[in-house]
Amino acid sequence: MTDTYLNLVNTGFTKKLAKQLGLPRPAVLRRHRPGAPLVPGPVVVLDDAASEKDADTVAQQLLDWDLDVRRHAGPEERFGAAVVVLTEVASPEDLSAPVLALGPVLKRLAPGGRVVVVSRPAAGATSPAAAAARQGIDGVVRSLAKELRGGATGNGIVLADGVAPSAPSAVGALRFLLSGRSAFVDGQLVEVDSDAGELPTDWERPLDGRVAVVTGAARGIGAAIARTLAGQGATVVAVDVPAAGDALAKVANEVHGTALQLDITATDAAERLLQHVRSRHGRLDVVVHNAGITRDKLLANMTPEKWDPVVGVNVMAPLRITDALLVSEALGEAPRVVCLASTSGIAGNRGQTNYAASKGGVIGMVQASAPALAAAGGTINAVAPGFIETDMTARIPFATREVARRFNSLQQGGQPVDVAETIAFLASPQAGGINGRTLRVCGQNMVGR
Amino acid sequence: MSTATGRSGATGRSGAADGSERAGGRVVELPATPGLAGLYGRGVVGSARAAVARRRSVRPGSLPGTRLRVSGVRPDPTHLSDYQHLLHEGASDVLPAGFVHVLAFPVATALMVRPDFPLPLLGMVHVANRVEQRRGLRLGEALDVEVHVRDLAAHRAGVTVDVVAEVSVDGERAWEGVSTYLVKGVRLDGAERPDGARDSFEVPVPTGQWRLGADAGRRYAAVSGDRNPIHTTTLAAKAFGFPRTIAHGMYTAARAIAAVGPARGEAYRWDVEFAKPVLLPSTVAVRVAPDDDGFGYAVWNPRKGTPHLTGSVTPLR
Amino acid sequence: MAAPRTSPTPAPAPATTGTGAGAGTTRRAVVVGGNRIPFARAGGPYAHSSNQDMLTAALEGLVARFGLAGERIGEVAAGAVLKHSRDFNLTRESVLGSALSPETPAYDVQMACATGMETVLGLSNKIRLGQIDSAVAGGVDSTSDAPIAVSEPLRRVLLDLSRAKTPQQRLKAVSRLRPAHLAPSAPTTGEPRTGLSMGEHQALTTAAWGITREAQDELAVASHHRLAAAYERGFFDDLMTPYRRLTRDANLRADTSVEKLAGLKPVFGKSLDAPATMTAGNSTPLSDGASTVLLASDEWAAERGLPVLATIVDAEPGAVDFVHGRDGLLMAGAHAVPRLLARNGLTLQDFDLYEIHEAFAGTVLCNLAAWEDEDFCRERLGLDKALGSVDRSRLNVTGSSLAAGHPFAATGGRIVATLAKLLAEKGPGSRGLISVCAAGGQAITMIMEAA
Repeated sequence: MTDTYLNLVNTGFTKKLAKQLGLPRPAVLRRHRPGAPLVPGPVVVLDDAASEKDADTVAQQLLDWDLDVRRHAGPEERFGAAVVVLTEVASPEDLSAPVLALGPVLKRLAPGGRVVVVSRPAAGATSPAAAAARQGIDGVVRSLAKELRGGATGNGIVLADGVAPSAPSAVGALRFLLSGRSAFVDGQLVEVDSDAGELPTDWERPLDGRVAVVTGAARGIGAAIARTLAGQGATVVAVDVPAAGDALAKVANEVHGTALQLDITATDAAERLLQHVRSRHGRLDVVVHNAGITRDKLLANMTPEKWDPVVGVNVMAPLRITDALLVSEALGEAPRVVCLASTSGIAGNRGQTNYAASKGGVIGMVQASAPALAAAGGTINAVAPGFIETDMTARIPFATREVARRFNSLQQGGQPVDVAETIAFLASPQAGGINGRTLRVCGQNMVGR
Repeated sequence: MSTATGRSGATGRSGAADGSERAGGRVVELPATPGLAGLYGRGVVGSARAAVARRRSVRPGSLPGTRLRVSGVRPDPTHLSDYQHLLHEGASDVLPAGFVHVLAFPVATALMVRPDFPLPLLGMVHVANRVEQRRGLRLGEALDVEVHVRDLAAHRAGVTVDVVAEVSVDGERAWEGVSTYLVKGVRLDGAERPDGARDSFEVPVPTGQWRLGADAGRRYAAVSGDRNPIHTTTLAAKAFGFPRTIAHGMYTAARAIAAVGPARGEAYRWDVEFAKPVLLPSTVAVRVAPDDDGFGYAVWNPRKGTPHLTGSVTPLR
Repeated sequence: MAAPRTSPTPAPAPATTGTGAGAGTTRRAVVVGGNRIPFARAGGPYAHSSNQDMLTAALEGLVARFGLAGERIGEVAAGAVLKHSRDFNLTRESVLGSALSPETPAYDVQMACATGMETVLGLSNKIRLGQIDSAVAGGVDSTSDAPIAVSEPLRRVLLDLSRAKTPQQRLKAVSRLRPAHLAPSAPTTGEPRTGLSMGEHQALTTAAWGITREAQDELAVASHHRLAAAYERGFFDDLMTPYRRLTRDANLRADTSVEKLAGLKPVFGKSLDAPATMTAGNSTPLSDGASTVLLASDEWAAERGLPVLATIVDAEPGAVDFVHGRDGLLMAGAHAVPRLLARNGLTLQDFDLYEIHEAFAGTVLCNLAAWEDEDFCRERLGLDKALGSVDRSRLNVTGSSLAAGHPFAATGGRIVATLAKLLAEKGPGSRGLISVCAAGGQAITMIMEAA
């Protein structure tokens, strides 16, 4: 789907006109391109005094990635990214120096730049002051993200107490947030719960040798997920309803995977899915519960025909398939389950009680299933997309669509690949320490948290 | 106007147009196969002459004993292919019996337009044909064609005459065709008209059907050279009492023997009796099926159940 | 040279039927699965799709189902009955348009309505001989996008014109042209040697065997109901890929009934003495569609973790002399089956499933009647008694061409893939018999077993 306005304000005469009229000018986002640098310039690593050791660890990691790393922002420089390490703050007062040092850097952030703040959860703090400082960082991240322009984003990594900045998921999240793969992730805090996970040998193909099932893979976000997972090395089993089989075949062939025509709400769906994967590949490492439908109706006019299928496809099928997966012999050693939630499931949406019930349900399912997955050596997480340019959103009336599209910090809708990249990150071996979480891919949508 | 038959020329044996006596009659050697277009012109004149004479009867024994002969006829391969394609014959170098009939037909016509032939050419109806193909004739062989007439006979509707064509190679008779023509309204002096009703026709189970287009007459005329206008133009057909043009009898009979296929072998008898003519265009029902000692065939109107032709193909030996 | 007939125990396979021509020292050829696009009625959603479009679509679905993108398959064979001259390399062109490796060789086959069967037969034999390890068999036909030829006289003129070297020759060629020559000539389903359409031929046979209108309508209704039931249970979910928004065979009428069919007027055999019994309801409609079947050796399938549904045990082609009325046009299967049975030491009743292509309801019923007829079996088949009857509950259990439609060359692939899956469902040891009749008085019959 194309965003005509975005194209107009970024090219030729209309670009100049938009500038003079003071129209909002959404930037063309920096997305992952093979061979492009991880960040578009030097990276400055800032810290409060107490967190210096962790900041050094982070800086060393960045150096290992061949980045140009600075521990202080010089006067004339332009930065590709700023990483602020605040893991050991004990009081809100400690925020002053590092945050104020960050201020001037923002002005000199390159288009598509990144700000990543590394901190600890307030819940784990040993004193009210420390908790205040930690929770304060949350507010800083969400606010600075709204300040950034030129397609730059601001996000945080929240490391559970005891988890070092060198933990695989801390490193993985840092690289993800710095990279073009997180283009539409903005104003979010990625919570790392444990040291679990494993760094990949090849950052471009972390999913090498993994077998991944993607439901609803025939088109839109599902097709993008299949492509992205395959691009990162996974063998993809693309699943969709038989009626979408032709589009599904196209996707499966494109990614050199297999197509499985299956209605995931069928009673034997899990069995057939697992049987297919077992016979063809021997095991299953990644399941992406992407299949979803909408049947919008105000609750006042809601009917079972519009309620039941939405709940059936969006949350009942993932519940059943995940249950079956957990007891299956086909389950890989470090399984990853990634579900599709929605900002509607977080903030609600008029006319979408059914959809919000299902997507809110997904968030609950993910939280509750985390221990079981952890016990199996794996994780389960959700991604909550905001406004994404798909066939589905293209059907929204123009005015509504235009408002929904601009109603976020990046002033544009995301692309299916943005959701796919986040899912690929959560499905990767390095994300093993992130479990039971819902990560938004919404360009910091104004609604909800 | 060139006719397709004109392509089958004779190898130029010196033109001994003068006759030489032979048992049964004088043999007149023609230098080459005559062109049918000219013959029809003469046929029209002869028919008019007969009409002027208002000849309502013929004497027994009034048939001339003359034999017309063309030697060294070598069929043209393209002509053979055209014939085979039109008649649904196989693509062999062996000449189909119907094709040999086509080769001999101009010679037979030449005999019938001679002044001493007592019957009018136009309006003659082909009522039966018998061919004995004693051995397969091959493309490249030089064929000697000799034609005579015989057997004036009384018929319930007039008088019939047999036109006999013989084709030999190096003096050996390989093919003999007897075409029986009816001249309606003419009586044979001193003979009773047989009143025998036609054999009743029992509609058989069809094995096929032919869709014969309006141009079926013109297309066979182009291949056979038989451009008798009742087959090619509606006006002429109407003049002879038909609502539309009619298919050549030999075309339908040749389609039937073609449908027998290779099972007929190279030596066979091929008989046909023509009943009602096939008006063009039309779709006719066909049965070509094995019977006691060969194949029988019938072509009929599927709606009325009336026969167009019946016949048989009997392998020899 | 005759195939050696030694003790029948091919290496990786469980015991097979045995004494068949290919069951000697050769290895097994198995059906991995199939894919087809839903069959459309002529002039329907595929009206603007070419044979190559549809065959490619069917192939793409098969490649996706079995994850063959980029793979070099041993050989692909398919064909079409109604074929444009530009499609001289139809199958190879479809392969090049698919996700298969461009190094996959392909060839075209044409055996009228048995084209699909012949591709399966030929390729499975190559697999058994060890010449190839994998193959895709298939077929496609479009009656909507059928080739239209110029009339014969115009064609001659055009050919002569192209050969003409001088203006005079050109003028001479063109001068032969008449307005009537410009009328196009479209292909017909008529038999070239008899001029009768397939329906008229079947009408003769139907009348000869005394098959009633009621029996034909009942068979047609069963076909529709069984196909509909198969869709309902998701049977085709892994046998079909939608195309052009069509997700089911367009000809299927789940709600049809004997009463509804009884209202239709006869269309064939109207000039026969016997009452005309064949209607549009108990005859197959002109259809568009394509089908494919993935064949392999056991080893090839095992290496890829692919399922093995059934084995191609043996096959027998047949032909009859319909030109001279000795047999009905579509009765060749009646002759071929007893030869196939004899070679494999089986009786007609030794099968769990039967697939007899429903060219017309009458075709199936006449073949069944012939096998039940003592005189026919003695005199025409040279047997000492009748072959006997077929348990109708085992015949065409998921419907056949009357309901699904019949894109000529695509029917064989549909039947083989369907029967393979049915046999796999029935389980080891189950056995199926196929008979597909074809224009020209031909047929291919085949025995398959659950793998």
